[in-house]
Amino acid sequence: MIRRETIASASRSSAVLAVIAVLLVGLFCVVVILELGYSGPRPIDVDRWIRVAEEAGATNVVSSIYLGARLFDTILEVLVFAVATLGVRFYLGTRGYKEVVQSIPESNVVRVGAAVLLPPVLLLGIYVVAYGHLSPGGGFAGGVIAASGLLLAAIALGTERINARLRPAVLHGFEWGVLLAILTLATLPAPLSMPLLSDPLPSGRMGSLVSGGSIPLYNAMIGVKVFLSSWVIAKHFVDHRGEI
Amino acid sequence: MIARLVLLALLPVTAGLALLQRRRLYAIIGMALFSLLLASVFFLSHAPDVAITEAAVGAALVTFIYVLAIRRTGKLTVVANEVPGLFERSGNQLQGLEWEILDRLARRLGLDLAVRFVPLEEVEGSLLQGNADVGAGGLILDGCHRRLLRTPDYLPTARFSIMGPAAAETGDESEGAEGMPLRGYLSDIVDDVQAGRSVTIRLDLARFHALSRYGLEGYRVVRHDGEWGYAMAVAPERRDLHRQLGALLKQLRETGELQQMTRENLP
Repeated sequence: MIRRETIASASRSSAVLAVIAVLLVGLFCVVVILELGYSGPRPIDVDRWIRVAEEAGATNVVSSIYLGARLFDTILEVLVFAVATLGVRFYLGTRGYKEVVQSIPESNVVRVGAAVLLPPVLLLGIYVVAYGHLSPGGGFAGGVIAASGLLLAAIALGTERINARLRPAVLHGFEWGVLLAILTLATLPAPLSMPLLSDPLPSGRMGSLVSGGSIPLYNAMIGVKVFLSSWVIAKHFVDHRGEI
Repeated sequence: MIARLVLLALLPVTAGLALLQRRRLYAIIGMALFSLLLASVFFLSHAPDVAITEAAVGAALVTFIYVLAIRRTGKLTVVANEVPGLFERSGNQLQGLEWEILDRLARRLGLDLAVRFVPLEEVEGSLLQGNADVGAGGLILDGCHRRLLRTPDYLPTARFSIMGPAAAETGDESEGAEGMPLRGYLSDIVDDVQAGRSVTIRLDLARFHALSRYGLEGYRVVRHDGEWGYAMAVAPERRDLHRQLGALLKQLRETGELQQMTRENLP
């Protein structure tokens, strides 16, 4: 009895310690900010960025920056993401891969709930990608939303069934093909004798769905890439139960 | 402004709540709540793009990954053969000495207990195939289950052979005659005995007691010489679980709780 209480109190005291640590770090941040004299966000040259957005023909200023003026950063981020996926695949795919325990059938409530929710969630993902240049969102957010719908289905049906339906080989090809397409589109201006990383497509009428030059194309490709890679990463993590 | 301050103040509160949960599922839900609050803070800070991404990644994707991961590890799966007093169903409830011990283990580890009843001879196979973590239900593990991890005997028992009534009538009184080990469920044997059918079976103390309540007139009962004990079996790859269960049994014995639980369940 005494030992049980000590075990319980030990885990509780470590949790309390963690809370205290978080509070201390927060306090430290506040003190540092006060010391440095933080006076709200710095004024941004809004007009300049709005001009950038107008040039690109996208109403979402943020997307016109990261897929237009700062496309180079985004390309590198996509590459980092691809390398991360590759790392997960490489390290979790080869080390002591066990045959998966047959999944426990989930209750009817979860199964029906997942079946009802999957199409709207996928549709929301596609919407967020398609309207990424007009409203908040974009390829990354939309891809993650769609992938979370897939994970919901995996909770209801088991990862193995979803994985079999997605056909790993096709998925693999698509994932890297899309990356290649992104890089091709980014380097397309060079053979067309245009400035590097500039937009080869016309910007179109601002505010319409087909506008913003190549921003919607980038959004779509990044969305597909993120959707597939998120699924691959999640599946590898789940298969290994977090054990490496 | 006030809304943003309230949300900011709620952030450490939800983080603390998530940290203090003992059940993993509740902790995961706490983290999802934290992400949603953070997304609202971003939204109120005029960063809707970041808010969407935070909500999608933190509240949806990561939560689902965690839920998928604990679906396998967050359950303590027990395969058991039903034994009155040790591990039995009573209406919709489970009861018995072994169930109480395993329930306590699951609570301590923060896992959900999932029980599947199987025929006695399938307990070993389920554990070896990795379909379950712990095997229970009045197991006497004497040497034949080498690959299984076994706990120390937690309760002494005895073995009985029950034969007859046909064998008794024919006068087959050979010494040391031994019944077959139990296959399937005890309830089948109970049905046989109630119908007065021929039975040749070897049972442990708890099952024998349960059976003897139905009257064993006409059956020959032999108590085997030797000392046996009930133990529980743990799947080979669950060494951590084996250690935890052993520690729990040791602690229960030292504090005298095991004896009390035994008295309550096996009068």
